[in-house]
Amino acid sequence: MLPDPLLIFIVLAPGLAALTGLFHKFTGDRFVMVITTGTVMLAGVLSLYQLFAYAAGISTVVDAAHASLDAYLIAGADHAVVYAKPRVIELMPWIDVGTFHANWAIRIDALSIVMMAVITGVSGLVHLYSWGYMSEEPHKARFFSYLSLFTFMMLMLVVADNFIQLFFGWEGVGLASYLLIGFWYTKKAPNDASIKAFVTNRIGDFGLVLGIMAVYFMFQTVEFEPMLEAIRTNAIITPLAFAEPLPARESVLVFFGVRVYALELIGILLFIGAMGKSAQFFLHVWLPDAMEGPTPVSALIHAATMVTAGVYLVCLLSPVYEHTLYAAGMVTLVGAVTALYAATVGMAQNDIKRVIAYSTCSQLGYMFFAAGLGAYEAAMFHLFTHAFFKALLFLGAGSVIHGMHHEQDMRRMGGLARFMPWTYAAMLIGTIAIIGLGLPHTKIGFSGFFSKDAILESAYAGVSAEVMFAQVAFSLGLVAAFLTSFYSWRLIYMTFHGPHIGSSHHTVPAGGHHDESHEPHESPLVMLLPLGLLAIGAMAAGVYFYDVFVDSMNEAFWAGAIYRSEANHILHDRHEVPEWVLWAPLAVTLAGLLIATMTYYFNRGFGARLAASGGPLHALFANKWYFDEIYQATFVRGSALLGNLFWKADKQVIDAIGPDGIARFTKFGARRLSVLHSGYLYHYAFVIIGAALVFGAVIWLRLGAG
Amino acid sequence: MMLGGVPILSILIALPALGALLITVVRAVTVGSRDVEAGGVEGKASLMAGLILSVATFVASLVAFAAFQIDQDGYQLVEHRNWYGPISYKVGVDGLSFPLILLTTFLTPICLLASWHSIKTRVTEYVVAFLLLETFMIGVFVSLDLVLFYIFFEAGLIPMFLIVGIWGGKDRIYAAFKFFLYTLIGSLLMLVAIVYMIQVAGSADIEILETIAFAPAIQIWLWLAFTASFAVKLPMWPVHTWLPDAHVQAPTAGSVVLAGVLLKMGGYGFLRFSLPMFPDASAVFQPAMFVLAVIAILYTSLVAWRQTDMKKLIAYSSVAHMGFVTLGIFAFNETGVQGAMFQMLSHGLISGALFLIVGVVYDRTHTREIAAYGGLAGKMPVYAAFFMLFTMANVGLPGTSGFIGELLTMVGGFQAATWAAAGAALGVIFSAVYMLTLYRRTVFGEMTNPKLETMRDLTLIEWVCLAPLAILTILFGLAPNIIFNITGPATRRILDLMGGA
Repeated sequence: MLPDPLLIFIVLAPGLAALTGLFHKFTGDRFVMVITTGTVMLAGVLSLYQLFAYAAGISTVVDAAHASLDAYLIAGADHAVVYAKPRVIELMPWIDVGTFHANWAIRIDALSIVMMAVITGVSGLVHLYSWGYMSEEPHKARFFSYLSLFTFMMLMLVVADNFIQLFFGWEGVGLASYLLIGFWYTKKAPNDASIKAFVTNRIGDFGLVLGIMAVYFMFQTVEFEPMLEAIRTNAIITPLAFAEPLPARESVLVFFGVRVYALELIGILLFIGAMGKSAQFFLHVWLPDAMEGPTPVSALIHAATMVTAGVYLVCLLSPVYEHTLYAAGMVTLVGAVTALYAATVGMAQNDIKRVIAYSTCSQLGYMFFAAGLGAYEAAMFHLFTHAFFKALLFLGAGSVIHGMHHEQDMRRMGGLARFMPWTYAAMLIGTIAIIGLGLPHTKIGFSGFFSKDAILESAYAGVSAEVMFAQVAFSLGLVAAFLTSFYSWRLIYMTFHGPHIGSSHHTVPAGGHHDESHEPHESPLVMLLPLGLLAIGAMAAGVYFYDVFVDSMNEAFWAGAIYRSEANHILHDRHEVPEWVLWAPLAVTLAGLLIATMTYYFNRGFGARLAASGGPLHALFANKWYFDEIYQATFVRGSALLGNLFWKADKQVIDAIGPDGIARFTKFGARRLSVLHSGYLYHYAFVIIGAALVFGAVIWLRLGAG
Repeated sequence: MMLGGVPILSILIALPALGALLITVVRAVTVGSRDVEAGGVEGKASLMAGLILSVATFVASLVAFAAFQIDQDGYQLVEHRNWYGPISYKVGVDGLSFPLILLTTFLTPICLLASWHSIKTRVTEYVVAFLLLETFMIGVFVSLDLVLFYIFFEAGLIPMFLIVGIWGGKDRIYAAFKFFLYTLIGSLLMLVAIVYMIQVAGSADIEILETIAFAPAIQIWLWLAFTASFAVKLPMWPVHTWLPDAHVQAPTAGSVVLAGVLLKMGGYGFLRFSLPMFPDASAVFQPAMFVLAVIAILYTSLVAWRQTDMKKLIAYSSVAHMGFVTLGIFAFNETGVQGAMFQMLSHGLISGALFLIVGVVYDRTHTREIAAYGGLAGKMPVYAAFFMLFTMANVGLPGTSGFIGELLTMVGGFQAATWAAAGAALGVIFSAVYMLTLYRRTVFGEMTNPKLETMRDLTLIEWVCLAPLAILTILFGLAPNIIFNITGPATRRILDLMGGA
C-alpha cells in the first residue's frame, strides 16, 4: 500500500489543482488545464498502481499488525469472517461537540482502494479527452477546475471514515455535478437540468441526513468503524434518549411516535440518500436531464463515478443490510424495478446520450439488487467493470457528437462507421461489454459478462436461499438483460450502420464549427487515446479481476471491508445453480441482438414506423412513463400553490390581525372618540354632570356599604 | 476582573458612542447649521471617521478577547458598580456573548464601508446612528444586569428605526412603524416580567437571578412575557411579518446589521434568560416551540420561493434559518444549543453577505426585482463567484459554515423529537429550491435587459466587504471547533443551570 504522503496527495491534490481555476485570469487557460490534468492523471496512475499491487497480493495491507488476514488465508475456513481494520490517516479534527465527533480523515480499505482507482483513473482520462472535446469552448479553465473539484469531492466521499465527511463529499459531488450540468449557463435547458439534479439529490439527502441522525442517536457516534463493529458483534448499545439499551441488531427507536427497529429505519433512510445520488426509481428523473452537460461530464460523473456512490454506500454499510429484512428488501426491489424500468425507456429514446443515460440507470439497478440480496462483492464488481465500459460508451458518444458537429439525434445519424472507424470500434467494444457477451464455463468474455452473470447467478442462488425479492430480482434482471442487448445494438445500428443521411438536413449555426466540410470526421488523437485505454479496461477488467472480486480470492481481497452474516452463502451458492441459469443470460442477450438486427439493421424504417404508429406502450416508454409530468403536476405545482397561499396568509391574515389590525383599531377608536369632541358647551357640561353623578353615587354606595 | 485595571468592556461600549458624539460636535463646529443635504466632503469625512472608530472598536474587542479565558464557563472581565437599589451597572462576558460581540464589531465596519457610495443624504447623521447602534448592540451582549440589558435592548430600536425610516426605500415609514410596533409590544411585556422578577429576587443581577428558582406556575407567565420579546426579535412564525418589510426598505447596511446582529438578540435572550431562569416553563413549551420552529422553516421557505424581490427572498430565508436556531436551543442538549449558537454566527455572516450581494447590483441599477436581472455571470464573473459561494452557504452545503449549524441543531433536535428534526430536514430541500432559482434568474441565463450591458464587476470597496465574509464562511465550515471551543463551556453551564434549578 502507498505511504501516507502519497495517499494524502491523491486525495487532496485534485482539490488544490481545482483552485488554480480561480487565478486563470493571471495564468491563462492552458496553465489550469495542464495543472488539473497532470495532477489527476498522476493521482490516477498512483491509485491504479495501488489497486494492482493490492490485488496481486504484494500489498502490505496485511502487515504484522494485520496478521489476522494471514491466519485466515491459512485456515481458509468457510465463514471465519476475519476482519482487518481499515487504515485511517487522520488529517484534522472537524467537529467536536459533546459526544459528536467527526474528523477529516483518509480511510484505506479494499472498498476505498477500488473506488480511488475508478475515480482517478476515469477522471484522468476524461480530463485528457476534454482537451479535444472542449477545444472550441470558451471558459476552459472553469470547466477543468470543476472537473478537478468533482474528483476531489468524490475522493473525499470514498475515503471518509465517518458519515459527516461522507456527506461532505456526497453534497460536494452534487455541487460539482450542478455546476457542470449547467456549464452552458446562458441556455435554458442546462439551467433547468442543473437545478433539477441538485434538488432531486437534496430529496435523497433528506433521507440520508435523517439516517445519519438516527445513527448518532442509536450508536452515539457518526464514525463507521465503531458503528459497524457494534452491529458485527451485536453489542449492547444505549441510545441517547427514550429507548432502552438492547443488542444493536434488535434495538428499537421511536420515530414519529412509532416504535421501529432501529437498523431497519437507518437502512431505509440511508438508502433513500443512495436512491437520489444513484438515480433509482422515483428519484431517477434528474439523470436523463443531466445529459445537458458536456459529454465528458456525463462520462465521468453521470456514468462511472458519482452515480455509483449510492452502491458504494450500501456496500460500505453491509453490516446494516445484512441484519435487516425490509431495508435490504427495499434495496433489492428498487434496484430490480429500476433495472427494468430504465431499460424499457432506453429502448424508445432517440437522443444518443439519453439512451446511454437510461442504460446507466438500469445498470445501477443491477448493482443495487445484487447488494440488496447480499452479493455486495458482485455489486462492487459490476460497479468496477461498468465504470470502464460506460465511460467508454459515453466518450464514444461524445466522439460521435463532436464528429457530427453537436448533433445528438440518432435519427439524423447513420453510416458513421465509415467516417469514424476508431470510434466505431470503441463503441462496439463497449456494447459487447455492456450486454455481457461471454461463454459460460470459460473465461472468455468481455468485462460485463463476468460481473453481470455473477449478479444474475447470485440472484438465482438467492431464490433457493429464500432471500426477500430474489425471485423478482432474477426475473426482472433477466428481462432487463434482453432489453439491454436490444437498445445497445439499436444504438449501434442507428448510429454507425445504414446510409449516411448527411448534414444537409441540419443547418450549422453561424459562427459554430469552423470545419471546411460538414462531413462527419474522426476525433483527434487526444480523444481517441482515452477511448483506447478504456476499451482495454472494458475488455480485460472482468477476466483480470474476477478471482479477487467475486471468486476464489474474494474474502482475502475484501478483507472484511465487506461483511457477510453467517447465513449469507449467496456468493458461494451461485456456483451451484442449475445449468440453464448460466446459459439464460447469453440466450436473452443473443435474442436481443437478433431482434435489434432484424428491426434496425435489415429493416431500417422499422423504428420510425413504430414511433409513428404510436402504440400506447411506445408512448409510455418514449415519455419515460410520464414521471416528469406527474411530478410537475403534483409536487412542483403543489409547493408553488402552498407558497403562494402562505405568502397571502402573511399579508391577509397575520398582518391584518397583527400590526395593521392594531393600527386600524387605534385609528378607528380615535376617530370614534374624536366625535365626542363636538365643541358644544352643553355636551361637555352634560358629560361633566353625568360623570359627577356616577362618581358621587359610587362613593356614596361604598361609604354606605362600609 | 478587569484587564490590568482597564475596564475594557466599558470602553468597548463607550467607544462607538463617544465617537458618535465627537463626530456630531466636530460637524457642528466646522459646518455649523448649514444645510448639508448634498453630502459631499463632510459626509465622506464622517464616514471615514466612523470607519476608523468602528475598526478601533473591533481591535478593542480583539484585545478583550485576548484577555478572555475560553476554557472557563463563568462570566469574565466583570465590572460592577451599584446604581440604585437592586439595579447596578454590571457587565461581563462568557462564551455565549463574546462571539456575538465579535460578530457585532466585525460587521459594523463592513456596514459603514458598504455605505460609502450608497448613502448620499444626511451622511453624518447616518454614521452617528450606526455608531450608537453599535454601542447598544454591544451593551445588550455584555449586560449582566436585567435593567441594564433592557435599556440597551430597547435603545437599539431607536437608531434602527431611524436607519429604516430615514435612509430607507419608498415604503420606509410603514416598514419602520411596523418594526417598531412589533418589537415594542413584545418588549413591554418583558418589562412587566422584569419588574416582577426584581421584586421577588431583590436584585436585577443576572448571576443572582440565575440561582433563583421561580415557582413553576410563575415561570410560565415570565417565560411567556420574555418570549413575546425574543420571538419577535428572532423572529419566529407568526410574528415575523415585520422582517421582510424592514429588510426591503432598509438600506443595504441596515439589512446587514439587522440580519447579522439584531436577530441574534432573540436567540441570545432565550439562552441567557429563558433557559436558565425558567427551566420548567421552557420544558413545558418545548413542543410548542418545536412546532413553531418547523412551521417557520417550511412556511417561510415556501414563501421565499415565490418572491419577486431579491431582498424579500433573503429576508424570508432568514426567518427559515432562525427556525433552526429555535430548534437547537429548545433541544436542551449540548449538540443542539452549540449548533444554535453556531447557526446564529454563521447566519450573521451569510445573510449579511447576501444582503451585500443584493446591494451591489441595487447600487448599479436601483431595482431589486429578480425579473430585471439575468445573465450577470458574463459581465460580472467575480460577483457571480461570490454569489455562488454564499448561495451554497445559505443552502447549507458542507464545507461552509451554514452546514454545521443546520446539522447540529437537527442532530440535537432529533434527540428531543424525531418529527421536529425531520420537519427541519425537509426545509433543507426547499432552501435549495429558492436559492438556486434566485441564482439562476439573476446570474445565469441570457442577458435580456439592455440596462445590464454596462454593469461593472465588483469595485475595490465591494471586494473588501465581501472577502472577509467569504473567508470566515469557509473557515468556520472547515474548522468549526474554533467557535465550539468558545461556546462549549458556557453552553454546558447553561444546561447545568437548567438541570439544577
